[in-house]
Amino acid sequence: MPPVAYTQIGYTTESRAKKLQLLGILSGFAAGAWLGAAEAPTKLVSIGISPMVISFIMVIGVFLARWSLPALILGTSSVRADVLRAPHLVIWALLAGCLWAVANTLTIFAIRDIGLSIAFPLWNSNSLLGILWGFLFFNELRQAGWRRLAGVLGGALVMCAGATLLAIASSSGHGPAAHSLNGVWAALGAGILWGTMYIPYRKAYLTGMNPLSFVTFFSFGELGMMTLLSVSSLGLAPLWQELLGARSVIFWLILGGFVWVIGDIFQQFAAKYVGISRGIPLSNSNQLWGLLWGIFVFGELHGRSSSVYLEVIGGSLLMMLGVGAIAFSSATGQEQTRWKEAAIRESDRYGVAADFVEARMDGRQLVTEAKPSRGALDWLLVVFATSVFVIFAAMARVPQLSLHWGPAALLTAALFLLLIICGLALWRTTRFH
Amino acid sequence: MVNMNATEPNTKARGRLASILSDIHFWVPVAVLMGGLLLLRFIR
Repeated sequence: MPPVAYTQIGYTTESRAKKLQLLGILSGFAAGAWLGAAEAPTKLVSIGISPMVISFIMVIGVFLARWSLPALILGTSSVRADVLRAPHLVIWALLAGCLWAVANTLTIFAIRDIGLSIAFPLWNSNSLLGILWGFLFFNELRQAGWRRLAGVLGGALVMCAGATLLAIASSSGHGPAAHSLNGVWAALGAGILWGTMYIPYRKAYLTGMNPLSFVTFFSFGELGMMTLLSVSSLGLAPLWQELLGARSVIFWLILGGFVWVIGDIFQQFAAKYVGISRGIPLSNSNQLWGLLWGIFVFGELHGRSSSVYLEVIGGSLLMMLGVGAIAFSSATGQEQTRWKEAAIRESDRYGVAADFVEARMDGRQLVTEAKPSRGALDWLLVVFATSVFVIFAAMARVPQLSLHWGPAALLTAALFLLLIICGLALWRTTRFH
Repeated sequence: MVNMNATEPNTKARGRLASILSDIHFWVPVAVLMGGLLLLRFIR
């Protein structure tokens, strides 16, 4: 295959469009696997730490990863160039980060009040809202044909049903703390916030911003809002005391944040190449992967009744069926023309060069763009993030848990296989543009 | 004499700000964020 970066093609060929669709679907699968695996390190943390502090420490790991990974892959010069072309998108990136932080905090209250089995399906409705916003604002699923429309909508609904079954199974025996209307509102609120967070995602990618640039500014909104919420909830001194008390487990939590960022980057590429209506439901398969880790590595459902296992099998099959339905409903040429109309509208409104927007939609770089390169600042960021991880790893206490190492090794191998396959496909097809 | 080059970035920035503030894609996430913060305050 000839390299496509640094060349300029005036139009998107059909085969190229198909390739990008496949790339988006593959990114969605990889996102599901990595986002699901992000829960694994956090399971190593024993109870006794405030959920708000757990979330705060994870966000610190996320912040480190969101700056060091883009610096390593493309270099911060690429981020700077992107921002200079479309500076308005920084506001949307910050907004998306704030939405994520508030949604994540709401889920903590939802789980506390109504339990995971009720809360999860409620906030998992975010994919349905993502489909609605994609349709209303970005011309997604317009002229897609009834078969594809049914495939995406039906697939998302079937996935919600599967998620409900899995959530009921995974929380059986624990039971919610107390059924309350507050918890229902919190879970629904989280779903609405997460579903709306995809508006900035899609807007950024239609305008040509690189996902690796978008996530760096997203992290400021995320960390800023999370700091504000943690300090206002606990107070500065108690928060610091809790952080000091948790220093032996900080490594596991920031590792969870790091793994989550890898999944999120794939999710961003999925949103870029297949849109939010397809990319988000695909990456919502993370629940399936989280359950695989829970059952096979942490032995979470060991000794439960056969009905629980039936719920798990049924829920998993439904999730896979929904994922399959969406994966086989990729956008046609007519629908992609409507996407381009939305992209032209954005470039006209904000004065972003049309050829830049078109090239980026096509996963290419313009001839006039400078080749991304890494400088001293990039290596400094990578060294700094690595040092933080090494320091906290040295402080980390190995938890006394009976883990099943065989399945852990298999799942980790599957993760890295997906990382290599999807990473290579992204590199070969788009050079991460 | 007015230096057009000096005022151009300001005009551009003002135009961009006006485009952002009249964009429904901006106000929908802002409204949802405000709602989320209010909800958080209410349930806490």
